[in-house]
Amino acid sequence: MTDIPLSAGEAARWARRAGLPLDTEHAPAVAARADRVHALLSPLRTLEFGETPPAAAYDALKEPGHAAGRAE
Amino acid sequence: MPPGAPSEPYGLTLAAAARAIAARELSPVELTESVLGRIDAVDGRLNAYAAVTSGRAREAAAAAEREIAARGPRSPLHGVPVGLKDLFDVAGLATGAGSRVREGHRADEDSAVAARLFGAGAVLTGKTQTHEFAYGLTTPQTRNPWNPGRVAGGSSGGSAVAVASGAATFALGTDTGGSIRVPASLNGVTGLKPTYGLVSRHGVTALSWSLDHAGPITRSVEDAALVLDALAGHDPRDPASLDVPLTPYARGLGGDLRGLRVGVPVNYFFDRTDPQVSAAVRRAVEVLCGLGAVRVEIRVPMTEQIRAVQWGLTAPEATAYHERTLRTSPELYGGEVRTLLEAGELVPAGDYLRAQRARTLMRRAWEPVFDAVDVVAAPTVPCTAAGRGRERIDWPDGTSESVADAYVRLSAPANIVGAPALTVPVGCDDAGLPIGMQLIGRPLGDATVLRAGAAYERARGEIGRLAPPQDLAD
Repeated sequence: MTDIPLSAGEAARWARRAGLPLDTEHAPAVAARADRVHALLSPLRTLEFGETPPAAAYDALKEPGHAAGRAE
Repeated sequence: MPPGAPSEPYGLTLAAAARAIAARELSPVELTESVLGRIDAVDGRLNAYAAVTSGRAREAAAAAEREIAARGPRSPLHGVPVGLKDLFDVAGLATGAGSRVREGHRADEDSAVAARLFGAGAVLTGKTQTHEFAYGLTTPQTRNPWNPGRVAGGSSGGSAVAVASGAATFALGTDTGGSIRVPASLNGVTGLKPTYGLVSRHGVTALSWSLDHAGPITRSVEDAALVLDALAGHDPRDPASLDVPLTPYARGLGGDLRGLRVGVPVNYFFDRTDPQVSAAVRRAVEVLCGLGAVRVEIRVPMTEQIRAVQWGLTAPEATAYHERTLRTSPELYGGEVRTLLEAGELVPAGDYLRAQRARTLMRRAWEPVFDAVDVVAAPTVPCTAAGRGRERIDWPDGTSESVADAYVRLSAPANIVGAPALTVPVGCDDAGLPIGMQLIGRPLGDATVLRAGAAYERARGEIGRLAPPQDLAD
């Protein structure tokens, strides 16, 4: 089963495990949004990938540069 | 002024302005003053600009005038006003990204594209509005000049509105799921998302490294080709940058379209699309056929996975980019974007990898399409500009989707595949709102989509139209 809804408490707990504290009043909205994203991603689980590699590829000859600005 | 030109220089296309400047019929100072005057007249209402750099523009225009008088123009962009989406770094200016998170920001150096534009002699008129960190499709702070009660589209809404209203001769935008093409289409101008990796993103605030592109928003296809000539090229500072031989884009325009194979999708692109939009695009395809193109029906592959790949890449990558500020100052983000970014933290790595692997499958699945046709013709967005504040669109088949989902639906495939995609205006609906046709080519087929688009707009005979004059002035 992949359509198990995320509770606000679970969203806050999993976010905290990733180092992201969530406000108590904000957690329900995040849980609901995460559930919608999760549902949107479900068609990916129907694919047969076989030996298909990810599109993102590491190039041993190139130094990953300042690709696209910075966060602040 | 050349015969037949608009009465004010701000209404000129980039190509027409360049010709007039080269012929000494128009000076960069005259053009820049005209555009700055237009900004003064309309931007209080439209809010296309986050910051107007009048002083800098006047200095650059005067310098361009002196240099052109002495040695002639460096390029067709020399002395021509440009607006840059407020995601592109310009040394000494804030890259505000539409967010309070960036208050007090100053860029240390020019983004790669800004440096190329300035090297070509373009005159910066200011930074244009973006949906916060490009994470949205409406740019709510900006108004549509065709009807200020409608959305500008996004996320490059400020750039498209500036070009459509005469407040910039051309502009740059970024496109992760349609953010150049959507606002260009909704504002009746031309927008090009080039092939992934053709234009450097160095110094551009990221949304999703896998899907981000930079490109021009202009008043004609010829203008887009002129800008791409200045922007394209390898940059080792962007790991996705392609090191390939370049095509002269503007010089490649012209001629008829004899033998060009135009793919018309039998699925996906015309599904859940406003009938007026579909009809306008199908009429435009007939125009292409009248120029010698051959119509070929194509089937779009892996349609069930398009939205999943788009979200599977964008959500975790956007969250990763904002990791630090999301932890130190989350209250500075707008509510909608903050929630999206926080939810992105909860996307499992397994889903992200499935999205990356599915992208590989999708690229492979599109190869036979690009073997069968030279360009795919389709609506850019399934409906015209929505009313401000409208949240959902209901379709006759009983389905409903958010405005953002509707706007991204038809543009996302080209982001995932990395294919060049051009939007050109093809008419208006009964409400007088613009409709765009998207021409998608094979990767590195940018010259082909530009050639097809330029032939179409010449045949249509309405090049460089501004939004109709209405109550835009304060």
